[in-house]
Amino acid sequence: MSNTYTIPVGPLHVALEEPMYFQVDVKGEVVQSIEMFAGHSHRGMESLALERNFFQNIVLTERVCSLCSNNHPLTYCMALENIAQIQVPERGQYLRVIADEVKRIASHMFNVGIGLHVIGFNTLFMHAMEVRETMQDLKESIWGNRMDISANTIGGAKYDLDDELEAYLRKTLEELKKPVEEFKHMYATHPQVKARTKDVGILPPEAAIEYGLGGPVARGSGIDNDVRKETPYAAYDKLKFNVVLGEGCDVRSRALVRLGEIFESISLIEQCLDQMPKGPICCDPLPDIPAGQAVARSEAPRGELIYYMRTNGTMYPERLKWRVPTYVNWEGLRVMLDKAKVADIALIVNSIDPCLSCTER
Amino acid sequence: MVLSIFKVLWNNLKQGPSTDPFPFGETFTPARLRGKVAVDPEACVGCGVCATVCAGNAIKHVERGDGSGKDFYVWHNTCTFCGLCQHYCPTDAIRLTNNWSTAHRNEDKYKMKEHEFVAYARCPQCDQAMPNMPHAMLDHIYGAPTEELEAIYKLCPECRRQKAAQQFGAQIHD
Ligand code: SF4
Ligand code: SF4
Repeated sequence: MSNTYTIPVGPLHVALEEPMYFQVDVKGEVVQSIEMFAGHSHRGMESLALERNFFQNIVLTERVCSLCSNNHPLTYCMALENIAQIQVPERGQYLRVIADEVKRIASHMFNVGIGLHVIGFNTLFMHAMEVRETMQDLKESIWGNRMDISANTIGGAKYDLDDELEAYLRKTLEELKKPVEEFKHMYATHPQVKARTKDVGILPPEAAIEYGLGGPVARGSGIDNDVRKETPYAAYDKLKFNVVLGEGCDVRSRALVRLGEIFESISLIEQCLDQMPKGPICCDPLPDIPAGQAVARSEAPRGELIYYMRTNGTMYPERLKWRVPTYVNWEGLRVMLDKAKVADIALIVNSIDPCLSCTER
Repeated sequence: MVLSIFKVLWNNLKQGPSTDPFPFGETFTPARLRGKVAVDPEACVGCGVCATVCAGNAIKHVERGDGSGKDFYVWHNTCTFCGLCQHYCPTDAIRLTNNWSTAHRNEDKYKMKEHEFVAYARCPQCDQAMPNMPHAMLDHIYGAPTEELEAIYKLCPECRRQKAAQQFGAQIHD
């Protein structure tokens, strides 16, 4: 019974409802090696960006991925601001952090929830989605949409908070703390969840460094790396927060890092509300965008996001290129899936929080 | 204090469904929801900024042959509800309402648009047609406009030049 054979996993419904095809060689029910095939959702976005002016590209980059849909336009705008030497007003900087962190909370809750769905624990999955729903309502109330919040524009933020919304935001965050605390406790202590996620998809710290992984995937293996700390952008240099690290190097550790980061996000938003000065939210008028090139990076919910842009003095970019967190993180799957059980493949894939729509764009 | 999964289930039973009863009841629609675009033709100066920044190319301005003004179209099915037009409009003439109802029959797809007519103003002296200059725009450029400005801002560029020269001449005489 020790024959090796090859099974296909995907391209649909590997974990998220996104297409990715794995060709898995197994012996019994143990994975021997994998081959990954991507490219099912390529939409030619880098080329599309060249046909759109700088303003239209804010929206195009937001449509790259719905879960990181704040970080894409944010990083895009930062690259443009680097080229044109635009100073974003201080209030705009804080507003950018608030938008970023609200999206992060919703994204992390979603990923941990889907992980539970993959192991068949749908009650807790639905509970995760219900907790997350408060963030969706928040996004809809402040920014006007549940996913594409359209918070940023070139030179600053596009939205402002009045007293009423600020009070609503504070109240929602306060009310979120207890449910997330309880959820985290349930995730950490429930015996079945533990049995399915502990010591599954092991990523040793050395491998995380070797493969250059980032975000909660690397932090779940104890790698202290966070763009918000390393090269602070927006208002992150004025705010206090901890980089949440995990020791387990497994699926469970990565999920607990994400849940831990939700509390840091809540605290970051509260600090923003306390410290945010009054004043303009966006640079006005916008200067001309000269010819030049720049790189900008930010910490998306899935890890480090990098934008490269070259301009030629017109209203259209000459080249726009982005490197998304999943592009590096999915290489880590080779390590995590090695000697894993077939039944754990989807769970392990989900634990890197893959985003194929932005990787293949 | 710490919940078990059974308490979650019990609370869910007590609470009832978390979803909105739509379409049989109201659904959550906050004031800032970005829905269908609306245009105020009185406030629009026809500058075209909204069409330039529009991500979906949903905005079309079409000059009327008789020079009386512009037709202003916004195609709801092409609009991405991004709000850039609202953000960059200098006179707040274009804005996103919180009306999200865009369901329609296929045969109505070419009716899913906002159509306004932005009329050109006429110079009170020589009847020349020119873009409308709403007061909001004047305030935007000059802060509180002076009396002199009020007297000349409705004139066409040619008449305005003459009038301004006269005013200036009168000042020198004083
Ligand atoms: S709606 Fe606003 S931006 Fe568009 S043409 Fe009119 S004034 Fe200009
Ligand atoms: S909301 Fe965006 S896509 Fe829609 S009309 Fe305005 S600029 Fe165009």
